[in-house]
Amino acid sequence: MTEPLVGVASDDLPPMSPEEAVEIVEEQQREEQLVHALPDEWIKADVPEGAPLLQVTGLKKHFPIMGGFLRKRIGTVYAVDGVDFDVRKGEIFSIVGESGCGKSTLGRTVLQLLKPTEGKVTFAGEDITGWNNTRMRPYRKRMQIIFQDPFGSLNPRMPVSDIIGEGLMAQGVRDGKVRTERTESALEAVGLRRSYTRRFPHEFSGGQRQRIGIARALALEPEFIVCDEPVSALDVSIQSQILNLLLDLRKEYDLTYMFISHNLSVVEYFSDRVAVMYLGQVHELATVEQMYHSPKHPYTMALLSAIPKPDPRIRSRRLVLKGDLPSPAAPPSGCRFHTRCWLREHLGNPEVCATDDPGLRDMGEGHQVRCHFPDEVTADAAQSAAHSASRVDTAVPNA
Amino acid sequence: MTEVTAPASPRAVAPGTPVASVPPAPDVLLELRGLRTEFRTMDGIVRAVDGVDYAVRVGKSLGVVGESGSGKSVTALTVMRLLESNATTTGEVWFGGRELLGMSGHDIEALRGSEMAMIFQEPLTSLNPVFTVGDQIAEQVRRHKKVSKKEAWGQAIEAIRLVGIPSPERRVKQYPHELSGGMRQRVMIAMALSCEPKLLIADEPTTALDVTIQAQILELLKEIQARTGSALLLITHDLGVVAEMVDEVVVMYGGQVVERGPVEEVLIRPSAPYTVGLIESIPSVEKRGGRLHAIKGVVANPFNLPPACRFEPRCPYAWELCRTEAPPLVQISDSQVARCHLHTPAGADRRPGLEMDRARLIASEPGPVAVRP
Repeated sequence: MTEPLVGVASDDLPPMSPEEAVEIVEEQQREEQLVHALPDEWIKADVPEGAPLLQVTGLKKHFPIMGGFLRKRIGTVYAVDGVDFDVRKGEIFSIVGESGCGKSTLGRTVLQLLKPTEGKVTFAGEDITGWNNTRMRPYRKRMQIIFQDPFGSLNPRMPVSDIIGEGLMAQGVRDGKVRTERTESALEAVGLRRSYTRRFPHEFSGGQRQRIGIARALALEPEFIVCDEPVSALDVSIQSQILNLLLDLRKEYDLTYMFISHNLSVVEYFSDRVAVMYLGQVHELATVEQMYHSPKHPYTMALLSAIPKPDPRIRSRRLVLKGDLPSPAAPPSGCRFHTRCWLREHLGNPEVCATDDPGLRDMGEGHQVRCHFPDEVTADAAQSAAHSASRVDTAVPNA
Repeated sequence: MTEVTAPASPRAVAPGTPVASVPPAPDVLLELRGLRTEFRTMDGIVRAVDGVDYAVRVGKSLGVVGESGSGKSVTALTVMRLLESNATTTGEVWFGGRELLGMSGHDIEALRGSEMAMIFQEPLTSLNPVFTVGDQIAEQVRRHKKVSKKEAWGQAIEAIRLVGIPSPERRVKQYPHELSGGMRQRVMIAMALSCEPKLLIADEPTTALDVTIQAQILELLKEIQARTGSALLLITHDLGVVAEMVDEVVVMYGGQVVERGPVEEVLIRPSAPYTVGLIESIPSVEKRGGRLHAIKGVVANPFNLPPACRFEPRCPYAWELCRTEAPPLVQISDSQVARCHLHTPAGADRRPGLEMDRARLIASEPGPVAVRP
């Protein structure tokens, strides 16, 4: 199955025979091997369970805003603006936040699909910051991604065998038999039939497509997978099937996940540690137990309070944040959350919130918070803030 | 035959259906009786809604829950008579003492927008991009009320103020693309409320929004309901939203009602296996470390529905009877009904299985969370 390579030839050249194409690719790869001699054993340098597999330090990703007559740079979107964290081998590390907080950009920057503006990304001890596609190629095998949209992320003109086999092809698995075998076993691993390889994406339901997306990542036998909202587009009953599958695969293949989501209930169920992002910065980082039982940031508390609980007996007043997310092109001064912060209002609008960035501080046991007043974040404070914010005529009796 | 072109005879919609029956009690604002909606498509006939009955009482709220393809949105569009011309509808829809399906296109247009209004899921595609939001609201006001252009504009500003958008005088002059997602949804709500409807139908009003914005919109809907006394028909897939927002709930699967009752009964003592499965699939901290309960298989295909019980291929309790005979809606309590053979005499000896699962569900139900104010 070497035909796809023929398509590489541009229109004005005579069509290449498959043999020629293979030869060219082989030559390119020999060259690459010489330039970046990265023997496989060395790449697979083992990271012990619990040690940092991925380290992110001071990571920034800024996008220019072009405009005006001469298409000059007229502004900057601070999508990711100084993020530090480690993902430990074997854990599920989640990033939560609202749309526009930079969580997906972070996922892509970590994988070097977007070139970082500043900062450092280390994977298995190797600094991979800013590496180009050629240098990244051996690492692509180890770091994979699963996308949100099971409709947009699969090429509608490709059969499943090509969708999953493409990555293997790019990694130099040229033996068609080997590719087919690995494609089929990946399909089997995600709970689909081996015979589905000749089908096209439109023949599958949303949940099955998401399984194909997972099989595509899995076929390369990665160690680390960035899951970018993998269940957000799915129905509730299908969502739990996919979450179960991800958990099973982690156990079976020793995977480490970086799980990006806006759904706090899924994150609570699914992950070991969580980072809450707001306007390109991490505002709280803790274990799930710390985060959901004793949140230390007013934003986290508001997020938790905003989740509608499926129990009519605890129908109660929410802590509702005012206004919308500010533009990441013009983030507020000081603490970025101060413009919507209920705690700041509760404390009588201290000036420091608007002038100084509190920085991410360690509160002990690895619980990090970006707030000037983390000790004021209590259930009582939230209660009184929720009461003073609501108007009398809208009182909703508790069920 | 389509609704819009149907002549204004009392029962023009389908021959063979019983001729106009008695209107519902005066405290019932909207009542659906045996509603069926079919679409003719290239691939055959799709029965999207298949015999749905439910009622919304004056000033109360009803939630309709279901996954994609359950027919929950089509039901609402049928009520609003907003279906495409390839749809056929039978049954009855009573609204404020009048039957809607037999009504003329002209009469329904007068009702739509003024007496009942709808909010859609995706505010960007439901707003016209080439008119300012003020123009769009004022147009609606002038359509249903005899007011001058200037008065209508004033009412548009007032409507935008009511939904909590700051500086409404400036906002009315903006185009939809200049507003954020939450702001657009507020504009949709403002438009729906501009003529003070008796019934507000909200189809997944917060699905496209972030949690903090969703919280704002849900609070706004509650506030408006309390202030204007309008009834709310809330369509959603999120059981959490239902638990917080509505008095009664209808669970739909494969175009049918599978369970109906007060929200406290349905969510705490679910009786249809599908509802039990839905509640069990919600991830929560209590289920950490273990596998999530997943309903096996995929959502029923409307082109190829199972012959008897539509949930049978996915149901953990199914037996032979479920494959041969369609289950009826069974009265569980005074106010709760469920569609399952387990609750008929034939399923009596199998019922303990469901009851055991349900008991486990109640035991794992989360208590009040410390951070919730």
